[in-house]
Amino acid sequence: MPRLVIPNSVALHNIRAFVANNRPFTTQGSKAALEFNPRWVHMEPVALAMVAAWGAWARRQGFQLVAENLGRKTAYAGRMRLFQLLGVDFDPGLMEREEAGRFVPLTQVTRSAEVSGVIADISALLHLHQDPETLSAVQYCVSELLRNVLEHAGSPEGAFVCAHRYTERGPHRVTIAVADCGRGIAAHLGRVHAEAARNDSAALSLAMKPGVTGAPPGVYGTPDNAGAGLFITRSIAKGSGGYFFLLSGRAGYRLRRGLTDDAMTELFLDPLAEPRHDLYEFEHGWQGTVVSVEIRTEKIADYDGFFRWIFERVPRRETMRDRIRFT
Amino acid sequence: MIIRIKPGANGLAEDKDEARELRLSAVLPALEKGDKVVLDFSEVGFATQSFVHALIGEALQRHKIGVLDLLEFRSCSSTVRSVIELVVDYSLGGFAAEQAS
Repeated sequence: MPRLVIPNSVALHNIRAFVANNRPFTTQGSKAALEFNPRWVHMEPVALAMVAAWGAWARRQGFQLVAENLGRKTAYAGRMRLFQLLGVDFDPGLMEREEAGRFVPLTQVTRSAEVSGVIADISALLHLHQDPETLSAVQYCVSELLRNVLEHAGSPEGAFVCAHRYTERGPHRVTIAVADCGRGIAAHLGRVHAEAARNDSAALSLAMKPGVTGAPPGVYGTPDNAGAGLFITRSIAKGSGGYFFLLSGRAGYRLRRGLTDDAMTELFLDPLAEPRHDLYEFEHGWQGTVVSVEIRTEKIADYDGFFRWIFERVPRRETMRDRIRFT
Repeated sequence: MIIRIKPGANGLAEDKDEARELRLSAVLPALEKGDKVVLDFSEVGFATQSFVHALIGEALQRHKIGVLDLLEFRSCSSTVRSVIELVVDYSLGGFAAEQAS
């Protein structure tokens, strides 16, 4: 029976254990079980998006979904609309606030026309009116990550996205997660990059480099894609000193929080050259793709134009700056 | 031809479907005829690299550097300007292989 066990905490700092200790994509039996820790549950957006995507996968496979150990401790997951998306009845009883802050509840996106609506809601839901650079960073990541899924994942259920702004305990940050149970990165890139088809870790590494797409090697993207989205998204996390996490197939990549301001401002084209990266190999892993980005809001304010800083650091072979007519 | 870019929420231009539509219906046909194209970003505060790529990447790859004589980018914020410079540079020359910074 497929079973997804939620321990007492699932966050970016302990994500490895959550993935390694689960085997949620078996296909025996008639039921799929979602089991919460009976005493306490802390779930960050990465866990919520994964569970929502997995629930949709389970329904696609014809499983009856059952949730165990529901109660007041799972009220936050309820407020994030997890049980609504799973089709599980849930009455939290007395509501308790586990976290202060603002959030974008779990949302399923199946068509590109829906992306703009999600982005339009971010400012109000996360209360970012007074912080335009962070708002732009969050909107940028959500747009890129959702459109990646819709264009490349082949996921019948599309993508599941949510975000949370943490404003009480430090570091102050916005954490975003997008998950799907589609074909995964290796299958997508493997059509034209043989090494990606053979090895999930190689596929992840390629996907995070600029200029790598499903287009034939040597061509800089297709008319609609340049293959730079995950690189820029990773750079947004790195530049603000936040976590970046990518999981697909049996491989996972995590960039840990920056320790110093100087370290944050050093971007690496090759994700494996990042001094604070972890590369995980799992026995079972994830059928599809999961991305989570942490944007540390107080760090973005230190930049004089955060995005200009990122874009100007993407190395190109030559610059045509003097030939471009800006008026 | 003047094409006014319409952003979404908070002045962000990110809808690649709209960019693709503009590219196919207006930008490429005008350039094929040798007409000048003005892309007016006056309402845009910020654009994703994917949006700008979908808007002009094919024109750059198809017509090479000479197409820059026909393209004018009007009223760009400093961030939009840096995105356009990035897309033009990699579309015509590719990404470099060395460390970013």
